[in-house]
Amino acid sequence: MSAPPLVEAVDLEKHFPLTRSATEFFGGHARRVIHAVDGVSISILPGETLGLIGESGSGKTTFGWLVARLHEPTGGALRFSGRDLLGLGGTELRQWRQNVQVVFQDPVGSLDPRLKVWQIVGEPLRAQGGLTKAEVRSRVKALLPTVGLPPDCLDQYPHEFSGGGRQRLSLARALSVNPKLVILDEPTSALDVAVQAQILNRLVELQRERGFAFLLITHNVAAVRYVADRVAVMYLGRVVEVGSVRGVLERPIHPYTKALLAAVPVADASRRRTRFRIGGDVPSLVDPPPGCRFAARCPFVVDRCRVEYPALREIAAAPGQLVSCHRAEEVLDISPASLLETEPAPPSPEAPAVAPGDGGA
Amino acid sequence: MSDPVVSIQGLSIDYVVGAGRFRAVSDVSLDVERGHVVGIVGETGCGKSTLAQAIPRLLPEPPATIGAGKIFFQGTDLVQVPRWKMPAIRGTGINMIFQEPLNSLNPAFRVYDQVAEAVHIRQVRESGRGAVVRTEPGPFDDSRRPSPKASDAWAGKVVPGGAAAEAVHRREVDRRTGRSRDEVRKEVLDYLRLVRINDPETILNLYPHELSGGMRQRIMIAMALSEKPSLLIADEPTSALDVTIQAQVLTLMKELIEEVNTSILFISHDLGVIAETADELGVMYAGKLVEFGPVGEIFASPRHPYTKALLRAAPTRYKSDGPLLSIAGNVPNLARPPPGCRYHPRCPIARPVCRVEPGPPLQAVTGAGSTHRSACHFAAEVPQIP
Repeated sequence: MSAPPLVEAVDLEKHFPLTRSATEFFGGHARRVIHAVDGVSISILPGETLGLIGESGSGKTTFGWLVARLHEPTGGALRFSGRDLLGLGGTELRQWRQNVQVVFQDPVGSLDPRLKVWQIVGEPLRAQGGLTKAEVRSRVKALLPTVGLPPDCLDQYPHEFSGGGRQRLSLARALSVNPKLVILDEPTSALDVAVQAQILNRLVELQRERGFAFLLITHNVAAVRYVADRVAVMYLGRVVEVGSVRGVLERPIHPYTKALLAAVPVADASRRRTRFRIGGDVPSLVDPPPGCRFAARCPFVVDRCRVEYPALREIAAAPGQLVSCHRAEEVLDISPASLLETEPAPPSPEAPAVAPGDGGA
Repeated sequence: MSDPVVSIQGLSIDYVVGAGRFRAVSDVSLDVERGHVVGIVGETGCGKSTLAQAIPRLLPEPPATIGAGKIFFQGTDLVQVPRWKMPAIRGTGINMIFQEPLNSLNPAFRVYDQVAEAVHIRQVRESGRGAVVRTEPGPFDDSRRPSPKASDAWAGKVVPGGAAAEAVHRREVDRRTGRSRDEVRKEVLDYLRLVRINDPETILNLYPHELSGGMRQRIMIAMALSEKPSLLIADEPTSALDVTIQAQVLTLMKELIEEVNTSILFISHDLGVIAETADELGVMYAGKLVEFGPVGEIFASPRHPYTKALLRAAPTRYKSDGPLLSIAGNVPNLARPPPGCRYHPRCPIARPVCRVEPGPPLQAVTGAGSTHRSACHFAAEVPQIP
């Protein structure tokens, strides 16, 4: 790796303090803290797509906001093209912002309903200053076809667009200042399959044409599979596994990654699951216990997992893939499918298939 | 085709908005067999939720109007049932689980009160004191008689004497069902255990906002099941949940289907979820049911071009394998649906006849006896679409 990574996060940390109730305050209780992002070290190379997957509450959106400097981190370091980001402020920060743009999760809420298309899409341009209204309009007009919108919709309002159209507007706004990194926060989760395919295709084409780097934050494993070059899996504020997209998705090592992949429903009626062996809910992020965050739900847990946090490390069998599990070597060959019980074929209504085991886990 | 729990025949639903008239559901016919899970898939705006809400008549009417068709449920045509009788039917046989469990639970009541209410309604019904569904009101129809009010007891009004009445007065025994509060509590706990909630004693006293999404959806399922419905309508029940939680809830639903023997109409936009749960699958496009059949058959060899395109749009490949296949064009505006077959502007095998003649009614695709039906003139050619 000769070129410095575009974004380099080292032990990045974001803790949100909770407000104490009056009783807690006067009772002298310590302030409780939500460990939203807890020591995440990830780098993003120029022109690559890093997929960040995890369930809600895993801290993936918070991490995206940290990289865009929409949140101030409470610890760790963040560098952009080798330059320290956390020291930036004022005008410098404002100028830097054109390097990183965000496509937000909610295509309805992130577009001002009272602004017209050219005002929405041109807002980052105007924020950077130095352009007249006519220039902004002509730039926006040139930009719209690149995301697949007709150039004559400049004076329409966001409500006139469908969900996919709004997501395209949001994307056009992010691309307007020609950023180096676009953070896509759940860009397709509100969309139908067919529209999702259109947007994902467009993203991949744009990257090929113009060399953006993407940070794709999503819980949608299928989208990550198609768009990403590398994948990081987050669970409760920590990265549990990083590696190439094929490596992580085809040969997941961490038990949580296996569980996540096993849980994704497959559009294949000939292989139906009858039982999912990962129980429990995602635990709270408030003052999490020491040790591995997945220990409470992990089927392969040993005593050591509850005490000592496993550091991210590379194991010999899978070069280039970092995993944070004490038992990585032992669980290496367990396939995600073994976390499920599957039926060979859909049960015919007359002859019910084998009844799901009522004992067991 | 013997004993459907609900049988929808030629149902059309319009929304009248201002001067516009949108036909959200047009001419849909569908049977849900006893003990079966029927999945309905389609994109946003294809009318699948409208269809789901029309069955228990939960649609706001107006703006919605049922233009034509019949919904037979337990021998009653629900379209003809007067509004005031609907609550009794909803309680007795049809239940719904919605997408947003937080919006469907009352934030001001504890879990116990909400589940107990559902249990209570069923008990009232079983005790024969509640409203009873009748196709014709009989001479002794008491369903419109005002029920005894709780305020009577509070106001010290005369209640029937004896120890039982004393218990009613102290609100230990429910006056209408004669069940004690302990019994109700026990039953509520049983239902919470049925939906695999650990530590139900604690959960009972919590408010909905204190629960996670998966827990809330389980409470909803517990409430729905406590009324022992013969038809459960699940409208995107797991779309708001994370995948590992979704997998848990789906597993649970499948186990419960066998335990309580209910039929489910399962609405989803997620083909994966449907592939996993449904026995039969209906595909909707622009308000029409375009394909219906056993789920395995449809996934293996779809016989409508739209189904085929929908199945292939699901991203299952890597970037280096080439672009995803999407469906060109957009979903049509239902105020001005295209003439002829509604899918023809986007269809790769459209012929001149498709532009003129509306799609045929669902017809069997593989021999007369098959239940796999498609609404395409050229269903036989669909397997050849590359």
